[in-house]
This record gives sequence, structure tokens and C-alpha cells, in this order.
Amino acid sequence: MRFVLAFSLGVGLVVMSASAGFADGAKVFADKGCGGCHYTDGPAKEKTIEDQLAKKGPELWYAGSKFKGEWLGAWLADPQPIRPMKYNSLTDKNAGDHPKLAAAEAGEVKDFLMGLVSKDVPAGVVTPKSNPQGKLIFIKKMPCSGCHKYQTGGKLVGGNTGPSLVDAGVRLNPDWILAYLANAQVFKPVKDMPNFDGILSKPDMEKVAAHVASFTAADAN
Amino acid sequence: MIRSAIVLTFAVVLLSAGAAKAADTETIFKFYCVQCHGAAGNGDGPNVSPDFPVTPRNFNKADEMGKLTDLDIKNVIKEGGPSVSKSPMMPPWGKTLTDGEIDGLIVKLRAFCKCTGPAAK
Repeated sequence: MRFVLAFSLGVGLVVMSASAGFADGAKVFADKGCGGCHYTDGPAKEKTIEDQLAKKGPELWYAGSKFKGEWLGAWLADPQPIRPMKYNSLTDKNAGDHPKLAAAEAGEVKDFLMGLVSKDVPAGVVTPKSNPQGKLIFIKKMPCSGCHKYQTGGKLVGGNTGPSLVDAGVRLNPDWILAYLANAQVFKPVKDMPNFDGILSKPDMEKVAAHVASFTAADAN
Repeated sequence: MIRSAIVLTFAVVLLSAGAAKAADTETIFKFYCVQCHGAAGNGDGPNVSPDFPVTPRNFNKADEMGKLTDLDIKNVIKEGGPSVSKSPMMPPWGKTLTDGEIDGLIVKLRAFCKCTGPAAK
């Protein structure tokens, strides 16, 4: 049985679309103390740099719009570092010590998190596709590669302070990549990445999103 | 006596305002700039790996920083490296930082190099 709960929270509307595993996953999430590092009730709470720096992990209130479910379930069971650096640190490496969940619990938490979606991620806009314009912007015209790792010619390159984009196409919803570029304030009002709204055109953002969404760990973009 | 008290109060207010602004600038510098320019402003932040395509500006080099006017620095922070024919690895922060925050950063960078720009010479 599938049901939908809608909560109006301030200016944001978070829709929780729940399957059988949703409630069970919410319970596992709470019981394991995941909320100690990740908040799941939107909209975004951070207003200052101090607010952002006080967080121990990424916000997950729009996880269902950001991630791909298959990847998320597998990651929860066998988490591997996504960021080279520890969250919110410019000095410490990511220790890769995110707690693991048993397979069944990982599936339930995945169902819970994939039910947390944002109305600000229009669906079906971006089709993953490596494209020269997106590549040019990503590598040459904008500083994306300064902070994000990616692969080129089979070689791992790029900076360390942002999340790795090596397997972005496996991990991220292509439409979320575009929504984040176009309207980052909704998701991360305080972040150490520039706002590109007003700097990149919407068509250029779509090309970058399509290009990044084409990244897989095995390719050479 | 009263005049001295007024002057003292005014000085305390000014110092307090200055301290608050300095703290804000320090926070902004650490959050946005250190990732490439390093905590000491030497251009050796954690993003600067051997394959990093350029060497970020070393703010302590007065001979280089002294060639830039405050307006040059403001423009490059707002519009990114290409605005001064430099690398796009320097991001455009104009839609992220306010003019006041950027002005604070300019003061911070001038403190690193202990230099002024050409217009102030």
C-alpha cells in the first residue's frame, strides 16, 4: 500500500511519498541515531556560515530528489567516501568511517530517504549525455574541477573540497544537478561553492548537468 | 570631562564595530578562500594538488599583489579570474558574496601582502 503525506513547512513543501519500507526506514534512521548528523525535515535551516559549519553531515531532507535509489541502498550497506575531505573540514581527510547498515536495514532506510523529495526539482528535464559544451564549461570556463574530482582519460583529477563527481551519473538524479545549479539557495543556502544563478545561462546549466550526469566511475569524460 | 567621555565612547563603538567586521571577514576568508589559497594565503589550499592547472595567488607576495588595485581585486573576486585575464579556476563570487563582504576580504588580502595597490601609491 502506498500513501502520501504532505507537510507544509514554512515556505517549502516537502512531500513524503511512502512505500511499505518508509516507516520502517524512518524508525531505523531514528534508532541508529542518523539524525545526529543528518536532518531530514526541510526546508533548509542554515542561515549563516556558523550554521553550516555546525553540521556533522549533509542535510537529507531532499534525498529522494537528489540520489538514485539503487545507488543509495547499496551505499548505505557499504558506504565509501564521497568527499575526499572530512565534511566541513579543510584539513582532515575523510576517514571513510560512515556507519554501515545491514542489507535489510539499508533497504528500509533507502525507502525512507527516497521518500523525501523536493518540489523544487522538476522531473524529466535533464537527459544524461556527455556533450562538448557542458564539458568545456565544466573543465575550462568555470572552476568546477577546482573542487570536484572527475576522471579524464582514465586519470583521476580535480580538487578535494567538494564531493567527488567521478560517479555522479550513478549517484545523482540528473534533474537535481540542474536544480542545484539553478536554485542552490533552496538546497544549500550556505555553501563554499559559488552561486551560478545569474552567471551561467539556463541552457548552459542544462548542458553542464547533462554532462556531469553522464559521469560513471568506469568512463573517461 | 564630558567631551572626553563622548570621545572615549565613540572610540569604543568604532573599535567594537571594527572587531565585528574583522571576525566576519575572517570567517568568510576561511570558508570560501582557504580551500584554494590556504590558511596563510600562500596559494596552497587543500584543492591544490599536483594536477591543479594553475597556482592560486599567493597573497603574501607584495610584488605581485602590489600591481593590483583594490578595484582589480574586487573585480576578480566578483567576476572570477577571466575578468583580469587570469584562470577560470578563480570562481566568480559576485552572486555569493556581498560588496561589503568583498571589501572586507580586500582589507584581509592587503594585510597579507602588507602592500597597497598602484592607485594608492
